[in-house]
Amino acid sequence: MTDTPEPGPAKLDISKAPRPIWTRLSVVWIVPLLALAITLGVAWKSYSDRGALIHIDFKDATGVEIGTPLKFREVEVGKVESVGFTSDLTQVRLGVRVDKDVSPFIDNQTKFWLVRPEVSARGISNLGTVLSGTYIEGFWNNTPNGYQDQFKGLEAPPISPDPSKGISIELSSKDAGGIVDGAPILYRGITVGHLQNLRLDKDGSGVIVDAFIEKPYSDLLSTQTRFWNTSGFSVKFDTSGLSLDVRSLATLVQGGVEFDTFTSGGGIVDNGQSFRLFDSKGSAENSIFQSDQIDPPRYSLLFDDPVQGLSVGSKVQFRGVEAGEVTGLAIKVHEDSAGQRFAQQQVTIALSPDRLGLARDTDAEQVSQFLEGQIENGLRARIASTGLLGGTMVVELTDVADQPKETMNLDAKPYPTIPTAPTSENDITKSAKGVFKRIEGLPIEDLMNSAIRTMDSISAVAENENTRKVPGELSGLLEQLRTFTADLNKQGAADKTVAALDRVTEAASSVLEEISGLDKTLASADKAATAIADMPLGDIGNKLDTILADINGLLNKPGTQDLPQSLNNTLEQTAAILEQLRKAGAAEKLNETLDATQQAAGSISKAADRLPELTQQLQDLVGQARALVATYGQGSNFSNETSNMLRELRRSIANIGAVARMIERNPRAFILGR
Amino acid sequence: MNALTATDAGLVGCTRCGRVWPKDEGHCARCGAHLQAVDRHRLQAVWAWWIAGMIFYIPANLLPMLVTTTLGNAQKNTIVGGAIELWKHHNYGVAMIIFGASIMIPVGKFIAVAYLAVSVGNESRQGGKPHLHMLEVVEFIGRWSMIDVFVVAILSALVQLGFVASIHPGPAAASFALSVAFTMLSAQSFDPRLIWRGPDRERK
Repeated sequence: MTDTPEPGPAKLDISKAPRPIWTRLSVVWIVPLLALAITLGVAWKSYSDRGALIHIDFKDATGVEIGTPLKFREVEVGKVESVGFTSDLTQVRLGVRVDKDVSPFIDNQTKFWLVRPEVSARGISNLGTVLSGTYIEGFWNNTPNGYQDQFKGLEAPPISPDPSKGISIELSSKDAGGIVDGAPILYRGITVGHLQNLRLDKDGSGVIVDAFIEKPYSDLLSTQTRFWNTSGFSVKFDTSGLSLDVRSLATLVQGGVEFDTFTSGGGIVDNGQSFRLFDSKGSAENSIFQSDQIDPPRYSLLFDDPVQGLSVGSKVQFRGVEAGEVTGLAIKVHEDSAGQRFAQQQVTIALSPDRLGLARDTDAEQVSQFLEGQIENGLRARIASTGLLGGTMVVELTDVADQPKETMNLDAKPYPTIPTAPTSENDITKSAKGVFKRIEGLPIEDLMNSAIRTMDSISAVAENENTRKVPGELSGLLEQLRTFTADLNKQGAADKTVAALDRVTEAASSVLEEISGLDKTLASADKAATAIADMPLGDIGNKLDTILADINGLLNKPGTQDLPQSLNNTLEQTAAILEQLRKAGAAEKLNETLDATQQAAGSISKAADRLPELTQQLQDLVGQARALVATYGQGSNFSNETSNMLRELRRSIANIGAVARMIERNPRAFILGR
Repeated sequence: MNALTATDAGLVGCTRCGRVWPKDEGHCARCGAHLQAVDRHRLQAVWAWWIAGMIFYIPANLLPMLVTTTLGNAQKNTIVGGAIELWKHHNYGVAMIIFGASIMIPVGKFIAVAYLAVSVGNESRQGGKPHLHMLEVVEFIGRWSMIDVFVVAILSALVQLGFVASIHPGPAAASFALSVAFTMLSAQSFDPRLIWRGPDRERK
């Protein structure tokens, strides 16, 4: 360009008036505006849809990383956004972004746990997570109940997260007794649920375990249902032999619980209800406590007397009805006003309200009030013994007469006290004790020793050679007797017997005299009978039982056991003698003798027919004899000898008569001397 | 720079065939194209597309580009994340291609177009031929940014093995495609004549 202006008029510098800015704007600006709107819109939407952030604390978070899903009923509803630690670094804190549509339902009842492959006695579970990785599972119900964003994760998956699939209850027991987490609940051998979350109770005096019973088995439960532990195996040895009871391998390994409803009338079971877990089926069946009576009212009894024989589990009777059991025995040392220390036996009892006649759900305070009233009317606790010999001790709550007025100490620790009365002894116990004392005083040992000595002497006699000769001699004797009798028969002994008849007559008359004396004897026998009747036979009967027991004891003493041995020896000897008797033919000879005797007796009887004649002859004979004697002269040697001889003869005849009578009456007595 | 520009000479060049015509001429008599005077206001379109492209470029980098599901385990990768992942797995070539096509080229384009647009009419930074070359390179290379989108599209189509492995495009894929398209439009709407236009003298 040159500085020289162009020739001609200067060109008019024409410029359009500047247009307003909006008219100068291009339409294309809509595009970035739209882009901005879309982007912001998408950003806002994703921000508003991103749901709530919750924090879950886990003890260990194996396999969890950012992006690990949170699942609800196996559907992903969130993701782990952050993995950090709690401020004290003891736990892993996972930040989980939960979808907006489920976050309102996450409330204080929500449970979270990690799902990973698990190998347990119940089997292998969650195998899918081997490939897909660990995930967090959550469970919540369908009623929003206050939003919460801080949770504590469960250490183990709950047995059943969904409460609508069954009933969850609590079992409490004295000890776990072989139960572990995950142990099965059996009903007639079928697994119907599982146990979990085994833990100590508040004060550590027992254990509590959660039990979940699946539907439809949960309908089997009622408030009367009783649970018992079937862990391990039971060995029973009784009259029917040895029996070993193992429920299943699973219960052997991880324990188990069985339940049954023994009585009707139970109510509906609610979730979370507590039940007592009994040690065995027997105790579950027989317990007087209802199964939902976890913590029955307890009382302390302080006894001055020893409580020997009482043990944990002993019965407590309320006016004769079983109403509780002894739960503890202890010694309590007190100090009286003088500073003297003395010990008392402290017995703790638990009472079942419904056995006291109160409602089942009566609380401890009401039971105490009831007992307070009863105590004012004379109710006392005392130790009593039951059973025939008083072997079983029980605690008795009963009215005791003539007791100083006392009241319950409701503030006593650990349990309210019930005033006590001295131990009672029943009548049987008393008399049994007396009998025992007397028996103890008897010189049983001496008695036994002398009995043994006697037996030994008898044995010695029986063993003696002379004794063994007896049968042989006896047989000879009988032989002689037989010949003698036969001779007698031959020689017409009957005639000679006539003289004996005088003696017989005499004997008869003396017998008559004796008979008149018999009256007196009978009278005295009568007296004796009445005296016997007057004796206190009732007492004897009462003591009979105890005496029998004593005799039993007596038989157990060492001396008694020797006695049968001696007896046995004696009997053997006797048997040997009898055997020899038999061998010697004593019986046959006896028979022969008896036959001869019979004949003799027959002749005697014939002779008796001729008695008057005979008497006459006898008298004649005697007269002749006298005459003869007179002929020889009195005082002569001959007559003296003759009358002696006659007297002898007469005595002999009389003796023979007596022997014959005896043999006729009882031949055996003649031989055996009885 | 004393070269006489067509505008200064009262002429207007045809954008299609390059023939110059007097300013008042409406249509190119040779090719029939509509003749349009060089107007700085046309830069508005460049900036508008540029901004739109920029807006979509942000989510394209923040959101996942690929969703890879292997055995039920879903993995989401952004563009940069994917490139880094490939680099970690020693696929250096692929990683560099992805990085170059998806990061370097778009970013370079943004810078180049913005530089060209800014330097229009700036007395001291009149460009001339280098600027024209730059514009040509931007226009040529811009389409290659779409390589990432194609990779995603092809992988999604090919890798559908159900539970074992499957690949799905993420929300970033659409954003990235839009962003690339907008930057291409931005470069296209830049009138190369403006490079020679110099400071606006119309208002003088």
